[in-house]
This record gives sequence, C-alpha cells and structure tokens, in this order.
Amino acid sequence: MDGSHGGRFSEPSLLILASLAGGAKHGYAIMDDIETFAGTRLGPGTLYGAIARLEESGLIEAQPAEERRRPYRLTVAGIASLREQLASMEAFTALGMRRLASL
Amino acid sequence: MSIQRLLLSLYPRVWRARYEDEFLELLERRPLSISDGIDMLLGAIDAHLHPQLGTSEMPLREKMAYLSRSLRGSLLTGFCAYVGFVLAGCGFQKLNESHEFLAFESISPFVGTSFHLIVMSAVVSLFAVFAGGLPIVITIIKCAFTQKRGSPFLLLAVPFLALGLYIGSILLMTHRGGDRLPWPLGGLIVFGGIVLVAIVSTIAVCVAVVRSSVSGKLLRFAVLPSSIATAAMALVLLATIFWSLGLQHEAPYLLAGNAGIMRSSTMGTLLRIIAMMALSTGLALSSLWRAASLRSLLLRNASS
Repeated sequence: MDGSHGGRFSEPSLLILASLAGGAKHGYAIMDDIETFAGTRLGPGTLYGAIARLEESGLIEAQPAEERRRPYRLTVAGIASLREQLASMEAFTALGMRRLASL
Repeated sequence: MSIQRLLLSLYPRVWRARYEDEFLELLERRPLSISDGIDMLLGAIDAHLHPQLGTSEMPLREKMAYLSRSLRGSLLTGFCAYVGFVLAGCGFQKLNESHEFLAFESISPFVGTSFHLIVMSAVVSLFAVFAGGLPIVITIIKCAFTQKRGSPFLLLAVPFLALGLYIGSILLMTHRGGDRLPWPLGGLIVFGGIVLVAIVSTIAVCVAVVRSSVSGKLLRFAVLPSSIATAAMALVLLATIFWSLGLQHEAPYLLAGNAGIMRSSTMGTLLRIIAMMALSTGLALSSLWRAASLRSLLLRNASS
C-alpha cells in the first residue's frame, strides 16, 4: 500500500488507523486516543482531512450516526494496510537499533 | 454565526454535506484555539484542492458526474486566471512601448534576454490555451449545430462583438475629439473598456462551456495544454521580475518617472502588474493541481 493516499496527512492517517485498530470510534474519540498514545494532538482540519482520505481510499468506513457523532471502523483493506505499514516500521526500528548497538 | 461555522463554510459544499454535522459536534466540544482555526483554514484549502474528498458515499455515477464537473470548473478557473494574466501582460506591453525601454533592452544583455523570455513564454502560453481550448470550442459549435441551438454561437461571438464595440467606440471617440477629454476620464474609458471587454468575454465563454456537453475525454486532454500554459505563465512572471530587477539595477531612472497606466508612477504600475501576474499564476497553479488530481481519478475509474 503506497503512502500517496495520505498526501500532507500521511502521518495522521497512520495514527488514525492505529487508533481504530483498538475499536470503532468517532472523530473526537480518535483525537483523544491519539493524544493519549502518541502525545500528538491533531487539529480538527487535519483529522477530518485524513479521515476523508482514508474513507475515500476504502481503508475505513463510517458507521451509522449516533446523534451527531459518526463512528468509523477499519475495513479489511485498512487492517491489511496498517499491518503492512507497522511491519515496515518494525523492520526499520530493528535495523536502527542493531546499528546503534554497534556504535 | 459562530467562528466555527464561519470557518466550516469555507469548505466545499460536497465536503460539508458529508462531514459538517460530525465536524461541528467535534468543534463544539472545546473552545477553538488560533492554531485550530489555522488548521481548519488549511484543511479547507486542502479540501478545495482535492474535490474527491467527501464523495465516498456518493453513488458511482453521481460521483463521476460531480468529478467531471469539478474538472471542467478547474479548467475554466485556469482560463479566467489566464485572462487576468493577459490583462497584466497588456499593461506590461503598454509600459514597454516607450523607446527608452526598447533602446535599453537592446543594449543590456540581462534585461534584453529577460524581455525575450517574456515574449517567448507569452507566445507558448497563448498556443497552449488555443491547443486546449480549440477542441472544446469546436465541440460546442458541433453540438449547437446538432441540437439546432443558437445561444452557443451567440455566446462564442461575444468576445468578437465586445472587442469590435470597444474599438469602434475608441475610434468614434477619437474622431469626435475624444483625445481632448480630460486625462482621468479618457484614461478610464480606455483602460476600463479593456477590462470590461475581458470580463464580459470570459464570462460568455465560460457560460458557453458550462451549457454544452463537453466530453470527459476532451476535458482530460485539456489538462496537458493547461499545464504548459501555467508553466509558461510562471516563466513570464519570473522573467518580468528579473527584467524589473535588471532595470532597477542598471537604469533606475527609467522606473522613476510617471509613465505608468493613467500617468501613475512607473514603479507603482510595474509592481501592480507583477502582483496581478503573481495572483493569476497562483490561481492557475491551484486550478491545475485540482485538475490534475481529478484527471488521474477519472482515468483510474475509467480503466477499472
């Protein structure tokens, strides 16, 4: 899965996918969850720009609205994309740690 | 209207139809900070540059029609930007008519080269606009014949009629002693007339395109000449800046007088021309970005 879906929002997209891996959430809950696990607070424009891109790419899907809130969840393609991206990061992290160990 | 709703109104209609309720619900949870406001502004710009965002729940047919209309809108916006650019170019050309400028361009390699680059790039952009626009105009005329409709012909004739009317008015005015009109009035008529002809002609052409069924294939094709025209506009802008800087460095006395439009300061006129070129180029670039994004989406959907 290439990163071109994200554009300016590629890192927020990954954070949102990781947040939704913990269960379906609406926008504000995603924002809060990301702030908790990543220490990053996404602005509302950035958050919904990334949500729109992920939805357009078929990686997340909207659930029926609860009052004015609309929860999102990962699709099968979204799970595969997140798995692939995290595996790449894991390999990169392992390589970096090995090289650091030799310094 | 709250500041949140005001900022949200900057987003495209289709985007708001999809996300407005939940977005507002999120915004109402906590006070809007300045950084959040800027983030929303950037988000609105991003949404305009990528009109496919917010269309995920649209039926495919409706989505493709919407994206095609958006592509047409982007190309027309680029065309309007080009017309604005040409107006600025006319101002530059008027400024350059003085024999002092021409004489200096022939002796200064830097200023002379910049001027030639301006002229060549302007010609390239004109040919590119024709290359992209002519097939569309031919299609409009063909459709008008097929459907036996007269209004497209009338709309396409407006630029010629407007220009003819303008030239006729100027000649009549000159013949009847118009050159003796007090200078602000005479200058306003000449200058204002050109701007009015440009505006009326551009609107007529845009309406003719919007009211006709131009195929998606032609619209997608037009993105390439639009790219060339936009690149040429950027080159003209850069060359004009270099030309100005060269002149300011080597012959500042040429920019010191009041040889500008309507006898305004030469430097002031030049700065306004550059500003208008920059605005037009910026608009053309953002339209091109949008058009290119839409083109690749439409191509992808056409092939899948």
